[in-house]
Amino acid sequence: MDQHFNEQNSLQLIESMINKAKNNFSESGTLYLVWGIVVFICSAVQFIAIYFFKYENATYIWFLTWLVVIYQSFFLSRRSKKEKAKTYTADILKYVWICFASCMFILIFILIYQKAYYSIDPAILVLYGMPTFLSGIILKFRSLIIGGIACWLLAIGSIMVPSVFQLLFICAAVLIAWIIPGILLRKKFKNQH
Amino acid sequence: MEFKELDPILHSQLRLAVISLLIGLKEAEFTYIREKTNSTAGNLSVQINKLKEVDYIEVTKQFKDNYPQTVCKITTKGIDAFEKYVQALQSYMKPQ
Repeated sequence: MDQHFNEQNSLQLIESMINKAKNNFSESGTLYLVWGIVVFICSAVQFIAIYFFKYENATYIWFLTWLVVIYQSFFLSRRSKKEKAKTYTADILKYVWICFASCMFILIFILIYQKAYYSIDPAILVLYGMPTFLSGIILKFRSLIIGGIACWLLAIGSIMVPSVFQLLFICAAVLIAWIIPGILLRKKFKNQH
Repeated sequence: MEFKELDPILHSQLRLAVISLLIGLKEAEFTYIREKTNSTAGNLSVQINKLKEVDYIEVTKQFKDNYPQTVCKITTKGIDAFEKYVQALQSYMKPQ
C-alpha cells in the first residue's frame, strides 16, 4: 500500500478518473453535418425538378448518398485508428445507427415492392427520428432529442400533403435533426479539443 | 465499529487510478491510460501486470498500423472487486 494514501484520497482519485473517462467526448458532429447537407440537397433538388420543371427522373440525385457512404467508411476507419479508448456510449451509438440503416433499407425495399410510393417519405421521417432521438438521450444532447421529435411530427404532417411536398418535409427534418445539431456538436467538440 | 478490509491490490494509487478509469470505458490503450494517470511507462507497466495477475483486467497485445499496441479492459472480477472496494470505503466514511 502507498504511504499517505488514505480513504479520502481513494474517493477523490476514483471521482477524478471517472470524470476523465466521462469527458472522453468523441462525437465531432461531422457525419450528422455531411448526411444532413447531402440529404437536404437531394430532397431540395428533387423537389425543384419535379415542382418547377416537371422532371420526374430527378430521383437519380439520391445516388449522391452512395458517395457519402464511401466517405463515411473512410471517416470511421480513420477515427477508429485515432481512438485510444473505446467508450460504451460510442459502442451503443454505433449499433443504434446500424439498426437504423438496416431498418431503412428493409422498409424502403418493402414499400417499393408493394408500390406504396406515397408512404416512403413519411416512413423515412419516422425512421430518421429513432436514431436521432436515441443519440440525443445517450449523448445527453438536447438538440438531437428535439430533432428526433421534430422528425416524428413532420412524419405525421407529411401524410397530409401531396407527395411532392413531402420532400420539403425531409428538408426540414434533416435541417432540424442533423444539420443544426451537427453544427452544435462540432462547436462542443472543438471547445473540448 | 466495523470496518471492511480494503483490497490491497486496489488500495494503491496507480492501480486504483487504472481500475477507476477502465470502469467507465469499454477498453483503453496503454498510452491513453499513461496519459490520463500521469504515470511513467515503467511504473504503469508493473501495476498493469499486477492487475492482470489477479484477473482484474485483460491485457491484449496487438499490432495497429505496424506498431505494437497494448489494450486493457476491465474484467467482471475487476468490476466486482472495484464495487467491493467502494463499499468498504463507504464503511470508513459513514459516521460511527
